[in-house]
Amino acid sequence: MLAAASLWLASRSASVPPMKATAQWISLWLAAFFGAVMLVAFLIFPGFFPPMSPDWSAQHVADFYAHHATLIRASMVIFNLCGLMLVPFFMVIVYQMKRMATPTQVLAYCYLSAAVSGFTLFAIADLMWLIAAFRPLRDPQLVMLLNDLAWIIFTAPVGAIVAQNICLAIAVRLDARPVPVFPKWVGPFSLLIGAAIVPACCGAIFRSGPLAWNGLISFWLRIFAYGVYFVVMFVVLSKAIRREAAEA
Amino acid sequence: MSEAAIADKRDLWFCWWVLPFFYSFFGLIFVLLTRVMPPPSPHKTDAQIATFFHSHTTTIQIGFAILMVVIGGSGILNGFVAYEMKRMSVNPAFAYTYIATLAVGAIPGCLMCAFSFLAATFRPDRNVHIIAMLYDVALLTFVGSLGCFATQYLVLGIAVLLDKNQIFPKWFAYVSFWNVITELLAAPVFVFKKGPFSWNGAISFWEGTVIFVIYLNCFILLLRKAVQSQGATEVVAD
Repeated sequence: MLAAASLWLASRSASVPPMKATAQWISLWLAAFFGAVMLVAFLIFPGFFPPMSPDWSAQHVADFYAHHATLIRASMVIFNLCGLMLVPFFMVIVYQMKRMATPTQVLAYCYLSAAVSGFTLFAIADLMWLIAAFRPLRDPQLVMLLNDLAWIIFTAPVGAIVAQNICLAIAVRLDARPVPVFPKWVGPFSLLIGAAIVPACCGAIFRSGPLAWNGLISFWLRIFAYGVYFVVMFVVLSKAIRREAAEA
Repeated sequence: MSEAAIADKRDLWFCWWVLPFFYSFFGLIFVLLTRVMPPPSPHKTDAQIATFFHSHTTTIQIGFAILMVVIGGSGILNGFVAYEMKRMSVNPAFAYTYIATLAVGAIPGCLMCAFSFLAATFRPDRNVHIIAMLYDVALLTFVGSLGCFATQYLVLGIAVLLDKNQIFPKWFAYVSFWNVITELLAAPVFVFKKGPFSWNGAISFWEGTVIFVIYLNCFILLLRKAVQSQGATEVVAD
């Protein structure tokens, strides 16, 4: 650990002068603002309270879209516009991971590419909801197909988030700085959140119960865990940026 | 400039030359061959949509087969712009955001359109309602993928404003921000089937496209200047 730290210190001294933290703060506040807007979209989406059941008939699904078209479109357009505004926040995590005294910077880049996969899936799921709501009067079987695709893509492919959290946990564990970039508890915390999100992979199989896409585990636990992760990382990042500014 | 003259920039010039090739093919594919730009009307019956695919099958297939190769250029361009952003006196989180948001944009914002059109022309005898759904998937994903592009324009603009190394002129930030507005103005395509806010409308499509073309031409020239003005001794962080 000490050897790694001294090696890292030697490599730091040769690098470019430190930058101002402005862009990092902008990224955080973009995420806070658009995160709050998305919370509103989450609350007004008629299909979340309670979450739409995978057991509905095709006609039931089509009727639901026909009756709630306006609110479904409004909330999903908000997700469409605001979801990706959280990317800079996660890229600040990447930057802070690169500051860590880890053996190499590889995990930061792994985190970056996993984040891309996660956001791609989110964007596709959102579009499926919007396409279903665009013409709710088309063949109900097709409205149901689009709705199934939206929910399955939204719920099941958890691997990108899990991979991000594992990479972050290992990086925090390996960070040999005397005062670590992120406090050590962020490692196990990140793994715990990942573990809470994993079972949602079954959301594409079960049509009822806690593992279905509307279930206690696949829906509520996953979204709650992700929300907690976001808020906690916001605080952790704020402190890391302040420490970085103080060091410079 | 004497510094710049001795610097070896073959890799950067390779990336820059991808720009005119990529966007020439992009225009050829989306405007001339596949008829995605300007978009056909959202106000067609299922039978009319089937006719649209029947009458353009060959060009759609040729165009999108070319896109399957050409789309790779977007990866090169994202890396190139991210590199120029890393030359700025701005936290690299913005350069990473540029790569990330446009990597997202390539799939829902470009390739899903191609996949849907290709699937629709792949089996022309498919049920017309399914063909009509693929038409909606294609055009709504293409015109309606908003956030990935809006975020990219926003961080690029903010980076240009914050940058003290003068990689791009400050006015370019506002051209970039204008594109954020056009993405917002495209949001109503998910509601309207006719008029200026539909996916082929004067505001949602044409206004955005005009601004994009202005932006793109500025960007290509400014990136050329950015490569030219980089000195041999400039250090860019890893």
